[in-house]
Amino acid sequence: MSALNGKVAIVTGGGRGIGRAVVDRYLANGAQVLSCGRGKRPADLPEAVVWVQADLSRLEDVKRVRSSVLESFGRVDILVNNAGVQVEKTVTETTDDEWDLVMGVNAKAVFLCCRELIKDLGHAGAGVIINLGSISANVADPSMAIYNASKAFVHGLTRSIAVDHGKDGVRCNAICPGWIMTEMAEAGFDLAANPQAAKRDALARHAVGRFGKPEDVAGLALWLASDDSAYASGQMFVIDGGLTAASPLQPGLF
Amino acid sequence: MSQGQLRGKIALVTGGRGGIGRGICERFAKEGATVIAADIAQGEGALPESVHYERLDVTDEDNVHALMQALGEKYGKLDILVNAAAIEIEKTIEETSLQDWNNIFAINVTGMFLVCKYAVPFMRLAGGGSIINFGSYDGFIADPSLAAYCATKGAVHALTKAMACDYGPENIRVNAVCPGFIDTPMLQSFFGSSGDIDTLKEEVRRIHPMRRYGTPADIASLVNWLAGDESVYASGQLWILDGGLTAQVQQMRL
Repeated sequence: MSALNGKVAIVTGGGRGIGRAVVDRYLANGAQVLSCGRGKRPADLPEAVVWVQADLSRLEDVKRVRSSVLESFGRVDILVNNAGVQVEKTVTETTDDEWDLVMGVNAKAVFLCCRELIKDLGHAGAGVIINLGSISANVADPSMAIYNASKAFVHGLTRSIAVDHGKDGVRCNAICPGWIMTEMAEAGFDLAANPQAAKRDALARHAVGRFGKPEDVAGLALWLASDDSAYASGQMFVIDGGLTAASPLQPGLF
Repeated sequence: MSQGQLRGKIALVTGGRGGIGRGICERFAKEGATVIAADIAQGEGALPESVHYERLDVTDEDNVHALMQALGEKYGKLDILVNAAAIEIEKTIEETSLQDWNNIFAINVTGMFLVCKYAVPFMRLAGGGSIINFGSYDGFIADPSLAAYCATKGAVHALTKAMACDYGPENIRVNAVCPGFIDTPMLQSFFGSSGDIDTLKEEVRRIHPMRRYGTPADIASLVNWLAGDESVYASGQLWILDGGLTAQVQQMRL
């Protein structure tokens, strides 16, 4: 497969989890990839990937990512705003610092990356922005207040960019994963009184009978980055194994 | 994306001679699937040579049952079902006769029900499969004078989720594609009923963030993805493909 031959992609937070699966899929499909994160370059990251250590909630770091991608590859066609954090708290439990952390990474960084890169992305008339939203922006996960709200911001921004910058040659969509088994999702189950029972219950609510894998999201991220999705813009694409298609009341579970 | 990803798959496309249906048959054939185009229309709409044509009236239970039996005997399984057969009626509810109403529901909703009902057993024989229904952005927000059509598409959306819940455990995924304005004979007819075509077309382009309306090939790209293994975790969703149209609020001329 070579759906992304000749394309250059930035995947934020590509060190592990969903971001890493997207990086791997893009590489396998012929793209050149830059990734970034707050930590040092992960030891197992493929050599072909350019890594920039950056806190994207800071403008100077975003500017560094931009100049690095242009220096390394001379252009950029695809931006995947994947980096995200969660704090498992209600509104009354959340501190100002936690607000700054979650909104900084999940909201402000997405805004900054889009603002600084839209012009470069639209240059060839076929730029792509893919934001990681969440089903939690439409239906709330308990004790994830600021995370849920930050993802609703991402959905609103996605629509606005699609509407304002479609004429500039940029498509913008969001992927809304359900439960994808990453370290972040495991932390969510740890909140339950009985994590094992919670996992069993959650599993029974998935029509396809399993939780998602980072590779499932990568499959959608590949389609949205490729020319096959040339008419898709302004949408929130849910990939959740049927979870939110079902009513929460399932007598069979009780 | 690379070709051949549907090799070995048996695909049935209802409405296979319509504008969008034909685009899907062409794409499936290119991807290596064995394609059966079923349609009530016999003459119009040329299909690629490798595509098998079967006459089908989706509202006739005996006809649907017989076709499925024949396909089952010939191929032993069904991997992909696309329910693209549909009509529209350009009327308000006062202008719509009971016969009009029953007719559009018979084709757009009952037809989908019947085809799915008799297709599922053959998907089971394949160990799973992908059903792709045609919803519409009109199932979310209405176009004027398309009342019964909008109602049928709302029904399609709910049926899509219901089937995803019921058949997920058997590895049968069910999704709906919801096109916006796609350049087809149906769209030409819609334009034709509303005055000067050229002015209207320009207006319609202008109102899309991507400044064009969609093509059957755009829709076929999404259907192809939903039919293939790249989308194995996608189920129960309504996939809007509209060039950004419904991401924006109503456009007032200021």
